[in-house]
Amino acid sequence: MISKFLFGPMRPGMEAQRPVLYRIAYAWCHDPTLADDLVQEAMSKAWARRAQLRDEASLKAWMVSIMNHCWLDHLRGRRDFDDVDELQDTLESGAESPEVCCNREQVIACVRAAVARLPLGQRQVLTLVDLEEFGYAEVAKILNIPVGTVMSRLSRARASLKVMLDNAAKQHAAQPALRRVK
Amino acid sequence: MNAVISNETLHAFVDGELDVTESEALTARLSGDQTLAQRVCALRSLQSMVRLAYAEPPVAPKARPRATQRRQLMQRCTYGCLVLLVGLSGGWALRGLEFQTASVLPTRASGGYQTVSLAREADPNRVMLHLDSASPERMEAALDRAEQLLDEAEEQGRRMQLEIVANSYGINLMRAGVSPHEARIVRMTRRHANLQWVACNQTIARYTREGQIVELLPVARSAPTAIGEIVTRLQQGWTYVRV
Repeated sequence: MISKFLFGPMRPGMEAQRPVLYRIAYAWCHDPTLADDLVQEAMSKAWARRAQLRDEASLKAWMVSIMNHCWLDHLRGRRDFDDVDELQDTLESGAESPEVCCNREQVIACVRAAVARLPLGQRQVLTLVDLEEFGYAEVAKILNIPVGTVMSRLSRARASLKVMLDNAAKQHAAQPALRRVK
Repeated sequence: MNAVISNETLHAFVDGELDVTESEALTARLSGDQTLAQRVCALRSLQSMVRLAYAEPPVAPKARPRATQRRQLMQRCTYGCLVLLVGLSGGWALRGLEFQTASVLPTRASGGYQTVSLAREADPNRVMLHLDSASPERMEAALDRAEQLLDEAEEQGRRMQLEIVANSYGINLMRAGVSPHEARIVRMTRRHANLQWVACNQTIARYTREGQIVELLPVARSAPTAIGEIVTRLQQGWTYVRV
């Protein structure tokens, strides 16, 4: 109550978005520490710019869009990437290819690995649509890309995800007990 | 209307992005088209797998102090300071109140003098004034104070007992021939029946040893020691005021 009095009604609303932001950030970068940093940065930027938010109903989308900028800034800051726009469609993380999936933990690890291997642009669209159920138009606004691009990226993302997971399942079926040892 | 439905359309359908008519048409086709139903099913299961995968993202290690924690710490400090400030100012304000209510007497009786009472509330009807100095101001102050208290009590119809205890050089107030206020003392005693003058016997004995003959005014009596008198009176519930 005191914090509401001191910081206004926005504060609890923003704080409530933290888990959502963290989930998205983690799905984007698959690094807990980095995800945490991104969320923190996005939260503080959102707080600093709270006057710019006109409609409180779109708080979540607005904060995700701020976090997207933080994420892109972070990628630009890494010296091994020059042009983020160009990399949007080609960037793949160095994650291992999805391995054997059978129980729940393995499925989770498997899907995460597959998502991590998706190009950045596709990964972002996929996670926003599937995890947070944003509409295509909202995603387009958050990532600042046309709706058509959202749809094509989503389509490609799901297709390659399906291929990767199918392959993993096949591998599992072919070699139920043996693992390749290099 | 058997055209192959594009993946984009199907995704839009799964995500609820199609408008109502398109969506209904597709739903109608689903019941008859086995492959289409399988595609939708595969999409939905993919979606749920992704959701499952990120339902519980791993928690970041919290080894280093984060900005939030620092900010929270700052907030807590601020609250703490606020509470402290409120407490202090409240205490300060109440202190004034307490002072006014608990000791109605001392503000009138002592007017800046030190007041002591063993009772919880200073008794305004039994007061002793202690004088231990021969300075004219102090003597006059003691008499003024005594008169003021007695007059007030008279106005309010209270029966007041007042004792003026003198020791050390203060005893000069009660010495016959020495006291500068002899007439006033006699007048006051005549006017107020409950006014008593008490001199310390030890002081008289000391003066005597030094070769001075101490003769008290007829209205004054002597007590063995001033301190003893004061302590006894305090135990009886009197209020002590040092002039």
